[in-house]
Amino acid sequence: MAIASTFLGGAKGRLLAPSIPFRFFATAVLFQGLAWLALLWAAPSVPRFAGGLGWPLASLHLFTLGVLMMTAIGASLQLLPVATRQAVPAAKWPYDLVWSLYTAGVVGLTSGMASAAPTVLLGGAIALASALLIFLFLLVRNLRGAKGMRLVVVHGWAACWSLLVLLGTGLSLAGGYSGLALFERQSAIGLHVTFAGYGFMGMLVMGLSYILVPMFALSDNPAPRWASLSVALAIVALALALLVSFGMLPTHFFRLYLGIGAVAFAIHVALMVQSLRTGMRQGLGKSFVLVRLGWTGLGASFLAALALEFQVLTVSGPTLFGVLLVGGLLTMLLGVLSRIVPFLASMHAGAGRRRPPTPSSLTAQRPLDIHFYSHVAALLTLLVAVLLDSVWLVRASAVVGVLGAAAFGVFFVNAWQRMTQIAPGIDVPTAPKPQA
Amino acid sequence: MCAVLPKTAPREICSESARSARTPGEQWRDTDGIHIEARGLAPPAPLVAIIKLVESVLDATPVIVHHDRDPVPLYAELAQRGWIAQRIEGETGEVRLRLSKGS
Repeated sequence: MAIASTFLGGAKGRLLAPSIPFRFFATAVLFQGLAWLALLWAAPSVPRFAGGLGWPLASLHLFTLGVLMMTAIGASLQLLPVATRQAVPAAKWPYDLVWSLYTAGVVGLTSGMASAAPTVLLGGAIALASALLIFLFLLVRNLRGAKGMRLVVVHGWAACWSLLVLLGTGLSLAGGYSGLALFERQSAIGLHVTFAGYGFMGMLVMGLSYILVPMFALSDNPAPRWASLSVALAIVALALALLVSFGMLPTHFFRLYLGIGAVAFAIHVALMVQSLRTGMRQGLGKSFVLVRLGWTGLGASFLAALALEFQVLTVSGPTLFGVLLVGGLLTMLLGVLSRIVPFLASMHAGAGRRRPPTPSSLTAQRPLDIHFYSHVAALLTLLVAVLLDSVWLVRASAVVGVLGAAAFGVFFVNAWQRMTQIAPGIDVPTAPKPQA
Repeated sequence: MCAVLPKTAPREICSESARSARTPGEQWRDTDGIHIEARGLAPPAPLVAIIKLVESVLDATPVIVHHDRDPVPLYAELAQRGWIAQRIEGETGEVRLRLSKGS
């Protein structure tokens, strides 16, 4: 007769020790608070920010590298092996190394940006690049051995190539402050923004969404034909951006890249909305309101980019585009993270138990609610601040953003505590065997 | 033994001899419960198919899942519905689970 200890048997091979993904998530939560604080400090320069060293650039990278990429790395390290049926390495040290180098890199890079210290900035960039190359190795190894999930794997490969472009342009830009630029600055900035926001983050988020959204909504997989069209168009768009930036195509092809990218994203969102509409679980709560708002922000970022291309937007246009792109990704990721954290906690705490705890029993709803309202208010205020060129509104948005980040931190710590209370010593799971 | 399957069943096969030729998502009834072939389905289709089947079972009939991997997200969904899972012996490379309504 089977016994309860066989619960989750076999999962060990594909589940990392919970401290690994949770460490990345915890650091992202911390950096979220620091990013809003940096924005508060940077407020006078934010509405008309046009690049260059200083607190606005530091705040931007605390959001992008500290929150977005940190979360994406943690999530993909755990979710991709599950999706592609790959065993994760038994050794923890590669993950420890990625996390240590990456965290040190974010601190170094953003400190160098904030204090306008090129050497510190370059040191941070080198640490970041080292961490991301190890992460890339782990990602490539996983994708090479993938069994099935072709759609997710294609997105994964596109994210890998985007990461290489992102790394090359990032190092060039960081080195540029020390006279070590590899590429012309304007081209490098364009590629850096494109391949960070739409390339690496966009492809990874879209790929993982094809599993996560139907899984949370309990719906059928999206139509493969449309999903394949979406990813194909996205890859074509990224290739166009690359060719334009290297002068291999005329600059007006940049508009074509934006148009094709927007269509690819629109197809993806339509598939996801259909998945949510037809799913068995209809009440996905505020987390998926955030996801929908994130999609809206990302869609609007394409429009803002096109408006910039056609010179419709005013001097605040680049900042507006940045807020929509980063804010959209941030909002979507926080929505998904508020689902993934209790979900992963439930999977880990359930190991060896007849009745695993439900994700909802590991969710502190009140802090999540506070985070929801604070985050939405902070981003909307920031958008208005940029449009009205108001420093005080930037400050107000940053204060509300800090409050939201703190509330999300309470939710996160609570989930971890509840998980470890249910399953003490959870980082050393046993390997149960099937029984007759 | 052959009996009426839930409405969600895409196809009905009653004989033991047909087991080796199951198609992904197929459901059939046997003496030990309602079986579902989840092997060959891309995630999260197995999860969705299993939950649909579980929700269609109105009595205490167990559900036997034939899977090619441990369906880690399934357990919390089952717990929310008052079901429990037990791993039982299956073919080589198979993860076979017996799902039943918890007491």
